[in-house]
Amino acid sequence: MASYVTGNLIITLILAHLIASIAAVEIRNLRASAWALCIQSLFLCSIFAAFAVVSHNATLYWWVLSTFVTKAIIVPWILFHYIKKLPKSEVKPIIGFAASLTLLFVFLIVFYRFVHTHVDFVAPTPEALIEPARSCLAIAFAIFVLGLYVLVARRDAVKIVIGLVLLENGVHLSLVTLAPTLPETTVFGITTNVVVAAFLLLYLTERVYRQLGTTDTVELSQLKR
Amino acid sequence: MATDSILTVLVFLVPLAFALLIFLCGGISRVLREGAALVGICFTLVISGMIAYRVLRGEVLTYWNMNFYVDGLSSLMELLGSVMGVVIIIYSLSYVNHHPRLGDLPEHRLRLYYGLILLFLSMMNWTCATNNMIMLYVSLEATTLATAFLVTFYWRRESIEAGYKYLLLVTVGVTFALLGCVLIYSAGIPYLPARKILLLTELGKIAGSIPRSIVLLASSLIIVGFGTKAGLVPFHTWLPDAHAEAPIPVSALLSGIVIKVGAYALARTITIFAPRFPAIVLFVAILCSFGMLVGMIMALVQDDIKRMLAYSSVSQIAYVVEGLGLGTYLGIYGGLFQLMNHTIIKGLLFLTAGSLMFATGERKISGLSQLRKRMPVTAFCFFVGALSISGMPPFNGFVSKFTIFLAVAEQGLLWAAVIAVITGFLSVACFAKAAYLIFWMTPAEGHGHGGSAELAPMKESPPPMLAGMIFLSGLCILLGVYPQLVHPMLDSAAKTILKLLTGL
Repeated sequence: MASYVTGNLIITLILAHLIASIAAVEIRNLRASAWALCIQSLFLCSIFAAFAVVSHNATLYWWVLSTFVTKAIIVPWILFHYIKKLPKSEVKPIIGFAASLTLLFVFLIVFYRFVHTHVDFVAPTPEALIEPARSCLAIAFAIFVLGLYVLVARRDAVKIVIGLVLLENGVHLSLVTLAPTLPETTVFGITTNVVVAAFLLLYLTERVYRQLGTTDTVELSQLKR
Repeated sequence: MATDSILTVLVFLVPLAFALLIFLCGGISRVLREGAALVGICFTLVISGMIAYRVLRGEVLTYWNMNFYVDGLSSLMELLGSVMGVVIIIYSLSYVNHHPRLGDLPEHRLRLYYGLILLFLSMMNWTCATNNMIMLYVSLEATTLATAFLVTFYWRRESIEAGYKYLLLVTVGVTFALLGCVLIYSAGIPYLPARKILLLTELGKIAGSIPRSIVLLASSLIIVGFGTKAGLVPFHTWLPDAHAEAPIPVSALLSGIVIKVGAYALARTITIFAPRFPAIVLFVAILCSFGMLVGMIMALVQDDIKRMLAYSSVSQIAYVVEGLGLGTYLGIYGGLFQLMNHTIIKGLLFLTAGSLMFATGERKISGLSQLRKRMPVTAFCFFVGALSISGMPPFNGFVSKFTIFLAVAEQGLLWAAVIAVITGFLSVACFAKAAYLIFWMTPAEGHGHGGSAELAPMKESPPPMLAGMIFLSGLCILLGVYPQLVHPMLDSAAKTILKLLTGL
């Protein structure tokens, strides 16, 4: 009974996590988008916590803590710090709002179903084949692809950093589903990398903005071939 | 065989400590900045020398329950990194500190420069010493993060853009590799004793038991990921920009060592799976044949000397990965030999290009002419590098490329061997053209520029720069004439991979 409840709880959480991710991608105001990313990370922490409760795995509490500190506090804080110095709204994307949202919904549902039915292709461990791990894994891959979508389709440098964080969050979720025995030091290393990469990218974005007055990466890549 | 030794961690903790020293106290005086950088890198060289000595005697050094593991391959990489580090730091003392056209740079930027070089070497040695599959990703990403601000060192528009591109593309690419590593990690858990971490050294044992679908999916993710870091076509797009916009010593570092870290990571993961899965060998061979040809053709059409060298790196790294991807003794041996030679040669070529830019301020090949008489040492070093990278006997490039041709043909991939030989010819054409234009051609013969260069009295570059160039060209000739010198090192490295591969 208890596992049934937590199982449903985890599925509710990952759905909320997915909606927060889509919000972070689609909201055009960068401040609001960063808030959505922060909420997305909070959902990620709660999923980890739920897994920790279900599996009685003490190491996972360390994951919750490190994810909370780095992804729900430090990364959004860095984002807010730099968004203050940059334009409030995102550079107009190539794909419009309605089109992008429709595309994402259709694609993510199809992709989610696909991974969900073929989970045995990527994860042979019996633990990964039962719910909620199965849905979790499918969502993790969906978030990964969502991050890739942002990196490919968006032009705003800050949005691209958000996409990168989403990409890493997707991998992080797959990590907790597939390899919960990973030691804390490794998890700490992975999360630190994300924070430093986000900081360096935003720092460079701000330098570019000061020199060129734009955060449009299409103009950035005008570097001669 | 395996002995516990603190050397395995000292090799990255020592440069890390010196990097912190430079960041914190580098502003006080030159001694704490350039001096600390030199002392730090020399200590690192001594430590990696000690490791190499012990590894050559047949030992394998481990530490902290096998979490750190240094064998022939790791030791080779550490030694190469430290030697190049010494050359590059000595070169920088002239090139970066007293550049004729940039003047003396503010102290905080020099502090950042030397600190980051040591930090990078530390992270690279960590990558080579770690034995944990996920930590391999963590440390590899750390090398990217450490070098990002070296690429943007001049803080010009182009360098910031190149740095942004480098950081973003490599970080995203390496995240793919992380996903691949996670898949293999999870697939490996059931085959390992309870709660044991998946070590790279255990990979060979479980490679046969993991389902085929996972290995192929994870391998493609890892090839994309670490291939981005190594600069394989078509994931190389960051490489020419980053190499061209970074200061010359940093370009030498990027081409010489940073992309090799990606090749090292591939050797630790893909090479282990290759012999059991012929599909991987074929995939790598196709990717690399395509890459070496595209890279060389792109190099042929460049007028910017740094871009030409960068595209040449794209081509050369494909040889390295092709050799490593075969998973046979000859292939691994040739790949590692080429890796070592390319580090030496491309380091040399970038440093000579730096010497040309230092004297003339010009980086367009069409803007340089008739420098043979005025810069004899630079001219000599450039020729050694050019002949060597084109694979001409009696230089070192010949020996390693020939080994790779043989290894590829031995595996029955004759078409790949033919493409490799053709690329070699293109390479000769590319470098012969560049050498002719830069050192012989008089301005009247062709392009009308170079007039201003004619007027300015030009001198040979200062001794710290020449020392590194002469040292590296000496190595090129020595290893070409007497390749047996490095045979024990390469043999031990290739054998350790083979041993891991069979899982003994």
